[in-house]
Amino acid sequence: MAESDGLRASPDALLSLANKESRGRLKIFLGAAPGVGKTYAMLTAARSEIVGGRDVVAGLVETHGRRETGQLLDGFEVLPRKPIIYRNQVMHEFDLDAARARKPNLLLVDEYAHTNVPGSRHPKRWQDIDELLRAGIDVWTTLNIQHLESLNDVVQKISKVRVRETVPDKVFDQADEVVLVDLPPDELLKRLAEGKVYVQDTAARAVENFFKPQNLTALRELAMRRAAERVDASLIERMQAQAIEGPWAAGERILACIGPDPMSPAVVRAAKRLADLMDAPWIAVTVERPGASLGPAARRRVDDAMKLAESLGAETQILSSVDLPAELLRYAKFENVTQVVVGRSRGGFLNELFRRSLPHELVRRTQDIAIHLIAGGADGPTPPKWLPQERISLRPLQFIYATLTVAAALGVSEVLTKLTPIPNLSMVFMVSVLVSAINFGVWPAVYASVLSFFAYNFFFIPPLYDFTIAEPYELLALVIFLVVAIVASAMAGRVRDQVKVSASRVRAMRRLYEFTRRLSGIATRDGIAEGAAGEIHASLTRPVVVLLGQDDDLALVAAWPPEDTLDPAAMTAARWAFNHAEPAGADTGTLPIIPWYFVPLRIGDKTLGVIGVAKDQSAPPFDSESRALLDTLSEQAAAALERATLASEMIRARTATETERVRNTLLASISHDFRTPLSSILGAATSLLSYGDKIDAVAKTDLLTQIKQESEGLDAMVRNLLAITRIDAGALELRRDWIDLREIVERVVSAARRRGASQRIVVNMPSDLPLVRADAALAEQAIGNIVANALVHTPPDTHLMIDAHVSSLGVAVRVTDNGPGIPSDMLVHVFDRFVKGRDTRELRDGGQGVGLGLAIAKGIMDAHGGSITVESPVDGQPGARFVMLFPREDTSA
Amino acid sequence: MTAKSRVLVVDDEVAILRFLKPALEANGYEMSSTATVADAVKRIAAEAPDIVLLDLGLADGDGKDVIRRVREWSDVPVIVLSAREREAEKIESLDLGADDYVNKPFNVGELMARMRTALRHRMQRNAETPVLRVGGLEIDAVRHRAIRSGVELKLTPKEFELLSFLAKNAGRVLTHRQILAAVWGVAHTADTQYLRVYIGQLRQKIEDRADDPQIILTEPGVGYRISES
Repeated sequence: MAESDGLRASPDALLSLANKESRGRLKIFLGAAPGVGKTYAMLTAARSEIVGGRDVVAGLVETHGRRETGQLLDGFEVLPRKPIIYRNQVMHEFDLDAARARKPNLLLVDEYAHTNVPGSRHPKRWQDIDELLRAGIDVWTTLNIQHLESLNDVVQKISKVRVRETVPDKVFDQADEVVLVDLPPDELLKRLAEGKVYVQDTAARAVENFFKPQNLTALRELAMRRAAERVDASLIERMQAQAIEGPWAAGERILACIGPDPMSPAVVRAAKRLADLMDAPWIAVTVERPGASLGPAARRRVDDAMKLAESLGAETQILSSVDLPAELLRYAKFENVTQVVVGRSRGGFLNELFRRSLPHELVRRTQDIAIHLIAGGADGPTPPKWLPQERISLRPLQFIYATLTVAAALGVSEVLTKLTPIPNLSMVFMVSVLVSAINFGVWPAVYASVLSFFAYNFFFIPPLYDFTIAEPYELLALVIFLVVAIVASAMAGRVRDQVKVSASRVRAMRRLYEFTRRLSGIATRDGIAEGAAGEIHASLTRPVVVLLGQDDDLALVAAWPPEDTLDPAAMTAARWAFNHAEPAGADTGTLPIIPWYFVPLRIGDKTLGVIGVAKDQSAPPFDSESRALLDTLSEQAAAALERATLASEMIRARTATETERVRNTLLASISHDFRTPLSSILGAATSLLSYGDKIDAVAKTDLLTQIKQESEGLDAMVRNLLAITRIDAGALELRRDWIDLREIVERVVSAARRRGASQRIVVNMPSDLPLVRADAALAEQAIGNIVANALVHTPPDTHLMIDAHVSSLGVAVRVTDNGPGIPSDMLVHVFDRFVKGRDTRELRDGGQGVGLGLAIAKGIMDAHGGSITVESPVDGQPGARFVMLFPREDTSA
Repeated sequence: MTAKSRVLVVDDEVAILRFLKPALEANGYEMSSTATVADAVKRIAAEAPDIVLLDLGLADGDGKDVIRRVREWSDVPVIVLSAREREAEKIESLDLGADDYVNKPFNVGELMARMRTALRHRMQRNAETPVLRVGGLEIDAVRHRAIRSGVELKLTPKEFELLSFLAKNAGRVLTHRQILAAVWGVAHTADTQYLRVYIGQLRQKIEDRADDPQIILTEPGVGYRISES
């Protein structure tokens, strides 16, 4: 509430003005009673707007068959009404979507307080209008003063008619303009007599009560006062916006105390009126007794009152304490409350007598806070308060225990009397009552009292073994037993309650902590959504869905119990909640018939998605505890989602940089590896061209050989690059045929020798090597790359051994060298792309220079369904061994 | 050329050495080679080659280190063999004192021409003649006169200074930085616009056609050189 504090600086006022500017403007034609001519006034004013060239559409105008009004409507574009079938009747309602689609500059919508047919998007017309305003459409509407929420019970008192259709004061206060349509009561009565006032049939009975001159005068005064207050408020707002010193509120703060009694709505309205009069912020609080669970009816009354307060613009707060007045006062002090509004229920004679009622306590314990007592209405019984209410259902077992306790007392007493005469045996029974009270609660204790009394009376009071009460003072024992039972059980109950509450708080905290911890461990959006759905389901025991925003729309990401679709109506509500960042569906003002309650997942001013909790209409609304839990859990989930989103964005950015880096490395290394052979070719060719006559024959041949070899190298490199591209694209086509690996190895070895390999190459292939089905060209490329790699990385005086090994898996070609081997840290990366050895010598196979040779060999072997592995050192000796396994294939295949 | 000029090729790519050797020998050079920075510096000191062909990417380090260390005590012509795209490295090598550069892959004929120029330039520098003759120009450093086809050119002092600096280093590529430092002072090494303006004016006065210069040649992105012939 601090935001609307009168002492606040102007930014808030400016902000609210700015908000008004982007919204459509709302003008309300306010009347004191039906028939004063609101619709007439609205249409007359709208006509002049049309004349002024404005785009005006009559969205919905009730003429009630009045001719003057009907005539006025001529020349207006009238929006057709939307037929809605409800209970086999066709109702014609205002068509919100058509109005939004038409998007006129100004829309006329009669009867602000109208209640829509169930099944419409919003239950109330003022909500329709709110949506229109948000869409930037100016709206004019009409309203009678008795429909204003905070005046509801005042009007009821005046007119004895309960008005069900109300408009929250908040939306009335937000109206940009209020036009008071005034008609003196006498004239109104005259019009009524002439039949010019439309009265609903159902209300006919009330008409004579309602249209009494004194009623009309009172309502007229209410309307005028309300309009005047509005003028005041908007004046102050403007003054603040323009930083004009003004009559600021004196820092009053009002606290409305809400309980499960039927007084609460009256307390809320009174507080609202007080707040308006004082121009003060106000807070509605309810104090829950820890561990105590109210009955469903009482719970609903509290929730309704809290919602009412919220809709009237109060900040609401749920407190929790055993000591109600102390907690209220603590909170009041904390919030600098100056005025407290409480209801004073009738009944509770004892409370009155002992001054134990809440108002009395408040007055007793405070000096500087004004207490407003709202006298109780007649309706609704007040629950008796003098006896601590039993909240745990009575369990028969407890009564059996109580009986046993009394029996034990009886036994002890019998023994004691045998031993020594004791005058006050009732004390022993007192202990049994005390034990029952502390352990089993009030009713077993009361039961134990009565039982003790009779046992005591029967066994120990003369005449013995007789229930006769000889002296009245004997009854005193019963009274004392009962008092002890009640007081002790109340005290014990209170302690139990507190223990239960702290235990449940600890549980809740631990649960929340667990939830947060679990979510923090999950890095993906989907994972978090799953986790949140599961957790909320566990807490609320209702089906839960989580929808996340994806490309401006919502997608169902997780659900518990698992579900992969949401019906379109629920989806509409979810989208609404997502787009407006406000709860929607069941228990809310938007699409309340949807059996889901949707809360937006918000972080800062971003909405990431919505969480939906299933809620049947028959089920009781969520209690404040569940809602608070849901709020907390959704906040945590939103934070976790935001974190996951940021993390994945970071990873994406990092991946992009990494890809860029790899691309640059590739380009640099490819261009380098192309340039070297090209340099040789160009150099050798130009040498021959320019100085051919001066170069001897041997050198000439060498230059030509160099040209040929480097060209072959280039060709191999191009082939490898193409191969890796095709492996990447998954387009490596295998032309499988039965091939003899011995031939392939021979070709590879002779090619290597041709290229000047100085190492000794030993080929040891068994002569009975089975054929394998493979692509001959690719197999040659793979083996060739492995051999070339070995030759590049070994000194000239080493040797290279190529052999084959047949197993049940297939044929393995092994290339073993006795060179320096591969460092263990390199070993896992040798098949990665663009990984080069550190000592690359100049004899190179095309792909090797780029660091692709082994990667390509692996790609080819993988495509064949085979494998390639490397070990170094080999059998404890320095060197490296590559093993290429060509899988065995059924000859029949 | 009575005695054979000795060339030291510093390159770790065997393929390059393989074709350079017959080509160099056919042109009357005696070639020796090395693949490392440390060995190159040692060999230049011990063998005193007439010219060095230097690859920048060497197995044990950066070829520029060779120039840096050798220039402390020797003015042996150094021609850098470098990849085309490594402009910054080339400029750095020239600034360090390399005489010229050849882009890889290169035409052997072009390399031989560059080598000849560098060698001749070295001899000219050693001669220290007061009158320089380049591209039909006669530049008298003592009298501050430049004569072309018998006609004295009207040059401003700065233009003359610029021309004589280029002429003194005829055949050698001079970077913008080197020219600016020598003519305008080290404080102006970044002011390449001065240089562009003066080169333009100078070309108007000394070239037959300023838009197709034959004397002051542009080395794009690197600097200028005066052709010797």
